[in-house]
Amino acid sequence: MSFPKKPGSKALDVLQNLPRISLANLRPEPGAKKTAPRRGRGQHGGNRSGRGHKGQRQRGNRPRLGFEGGQTPFYLAIPKYGFNEGHSRRPQYQPLSLKRLQYLIDLGRVDTTQPIDLTQLVNARGVTIQPLKRDYGVQLVDEGEDIFAAKIHIEVQRASEGAIAAIERNGGVITTSFYDPISLGIVIKPVPFFLRGQPIPKRMLPGQDMVPYYTDAGNRGYLADCEKIQQARLALAQKYGYILPDISKDELYHMLSMRKDVRQIFFGLAPGWVVNMSEKKILKPTDEKLLKYYSS
Amino acid sequence: MAAPVLCGRTAVLCRTLRGISSSNPCGLLLQTASYNPRPLRLNLSDPYIPDKESDETPAWQKTARYDGKLYGRYGSASGVDPASLWPSHEQLDRVVAEEREWQPTLEEMLRNIELKEKEEAEKRQAKERLIAANMAKMPKMVADWRREKRETKQKLKEDKARREQLLEEARVRFGYALDPRSPKFLEMVAEVEKEEKKKKKLMKRRLKDEQTAAPVTTPADAS
Repeated sequence: MSFPKKPGSKALDVLQNLPRISLANLRPEPGAKKTAPRRGRGQHGGNRSGRGHKGQRQRGNRPRLGFEGGQTPFYLAIPKYGFNEGHSRRPQYQPLSLKRLQYLIDLGRVDTTQPIDLTQLVNARGVTIQPLKRDYGVQLVDEGEDIFAAKIHIEVQRASEGAIAAIERNGGVITTSFYDPISLGIVIKPVPFFLRGQPIPKRMLPGQDMVPYYTDAGNRGYLADCEKIQQARLALAQKYGYILPDISKDELYHMLSMRKDVRQIFFGLAPGWVVNMSEKKILKPTDEKLLKYYSS
Repeated sequence: MAAPVLCGRTAVLCRTLRGISSSNPCGLLLQTASYNPRPLRLNLSDPYIPDKESDETPAWQKTARYDGKLYGRYGSASGVDPASLWPSHEQLDRVVAEEREWQPTLEEMLRNIELKEKEEAEKRQAKERLIAANMAKMPKMVADWRREKRETKQKLKEDKARREQLLEEARVRFGYALDPRSPKFLEMVAEVEKEEKKKKKLMKRRLKDEQTAAPVTTPADAS
């Protein structure tokens, strides 16, 4: 009888004599692989194996996607041209017609004694804005310009000429202004923003492609000169044939003459302030550097 | 449409008049909807303030962002220093630097737009000038083209006539119609051409002689 001299020496011998571990002698763990079902075996032989009757479906030789059996396929027959180029990145403006605005006013859902901006319109459920879907605000559409009869101060993002005329004919004021997506998210949902405890940011300037629109007095842009806007109001009144009401003698003159700063998001709240809803408090920064940043 | 408009008008009127006269001036007061804000559903009596020291607290509840949220919800009860809600000086410097890099000022943008417009206008004007210059050349070019066309047509016609004449001549000379490709005909053509050349030369010489003679004779005649 022979006994191994050292316990475990046999295992060590085996380990020393075995080849190195390489891709050639590695195999998956037992149970790690599942064998594919073998279809059409046993009592199922001669059946269709779940593939239906005949043809390309059964044989699995379907032609490629878009192939129309040799006829020039649709995707090649239609020439491509840049009409829709960048359509997925274009800014969208939800339409708000004057008819609907009048409806909202008549129902009392919008208060005309206060300036109407995006917050009021969203709170009145007049429009739904989705900044994540490239919405940049609302456009005022001139449907219902003949029945519109309210004196309002409204701020929208785009406005048609007819809509501007209808609002100014009734002694109202309209401004078009730009909100960057972050400010837009804040202006349409102020309370969730205030609950975040962040200072109100500065509203960003429009991009270079939008600057011409907002500096144009004809569009009542918020970057245009006040004097030029006054001239444009008179010109539009002449064009549409109405007498421009003098708003400086109006009892609501203070409300009508309110103007948001270029960098301001809410009326009465400057950038850099923190609003606390639960304590009904406004916190303003005092640091020189912060003040300089937020006022620039 | 008209009825609700009128009703709405009265409602608004009532609201504006309410401030002036305390009693209700309209006999008929319409019920109008007004904004009914959602209540702030916050547990203000027993707020959850996470313990910063504890290991049990998840890491995301220890961030400055969460502190801001706590302050936004519960105010001073959250125990968050309100000064921490604003960016620190270093953060602010970073923000300012980024803004300076990525957000051009309004003046800059206006200047860029003006430059771009100017460039476009110049390009357009250059093109317009080119078109005007080319259009000015147009009548002459059309006339040239017409003349050229007419000339080629004329030349073709002459060639054809000459060929026919040659064939006719060949027919007279040989007594039968010749194939224009036959060597006989080609030979004859060469001969005729030679003769013509000679004749032309002769004519030229004679003309030259006359011209040289004329100035000599004219002064003699005159004297």
